Amino acid sequence: MSSFEKVGDSFSLDLTLDEAQILINLTEQLLELLGEGDFFHHYDNSDPLAQLLSMPAEIVTPEDPVLLRLLPNAYSDPEAASDFRRYTEPQLRGSKQRNLRLMREELTILVDEGHGGVIENIDSGIWLKGLNDLRIALSVRLEINEESFDKFELMPDDEPAKSVHAVYFWLGWLQENLLESLA
Amino acid sequence: MVKTITTPELNIDQLLDKPWVTIVWDDPVNLMSYVTHVFIKLFGFSKEKAHELMMQVHKQGRAVVSSGSREEMERDVQSLHEHGLWATLQRDDKI
Repeated sequence: MSSFEKVGDSFSLDLTLDEAQILINLTEQLLELLGEGDFFHHYDNSDPLAQLLSMPAEIVTPEDPVLLRLLPNAYSDPEAASDFRRYTEPQLRGSKQRNLRLMREELTILVDEGHGGVIENIDSGIWLKGLNDLRIALSVRLEINEESFDKFELMPDDEPAKSVHAVYFWLGWLQENLLESLA
Repeated sequence: MVKTITTPELNIDQLLDKPWVTIVWDDPVNLMSYVTHVFIKLFGFSKEKAHELMMQVHKQGRAVVSSGSREEMERDVQSLHEHGLWATLQRDDKI
């Protein structure tokens, strides 16, 4: 069974090969949705001039419900929300992409070795946020609500949606496990 | 004769000292333990205070987690969004 473990001040994550592959799969799908490479690609984004010139006149509110949940409106007023989005969305998107890329990098090393094992020196903050974003993305697609777990438990094993729900609830378990090892 | 002085731009919000608030909304996804963890991390709340606010979000559907200037609240909302919490800011309508 996969689990996080606290070793001194650092954390490790023990995964089977299947689990690592599921996580890579999910991180790559979400990176794709977030538009990997669309932002901060060809220039040094810490340069204030580059930031100024690259600021778009407008960033449209995402239509995809997963993106809208991950990059939500900060104001109920559409004009204020749009203005805020224009200044802040690239940074928010970039922070989510960085978390997922780091997770993917660590998972790839494990999967390339062709077997499960332990990833040492996990950055708990990055993994907490990244796992949470993966859960949010899945929850929107699966239309998760308060009753979903009870429904999942009653699903017959040959129900196609069952395995995706199983992954969603496993991610929650994994995140809870990391939170417990932090405490 | 007196020199014309340009009228300084008045900031009504500042004059009225009307604070802004950050609101966190309930969702069926974020773990209760995670929300509590984020409140402690971002706002430096005690465990008890963070748990209380998390329960308020869970039971009442929303809770005010911080108040202050508009700029400060925008920073708080941005940090909450980075952590995947559903947050908005608005003028404090209680005053």
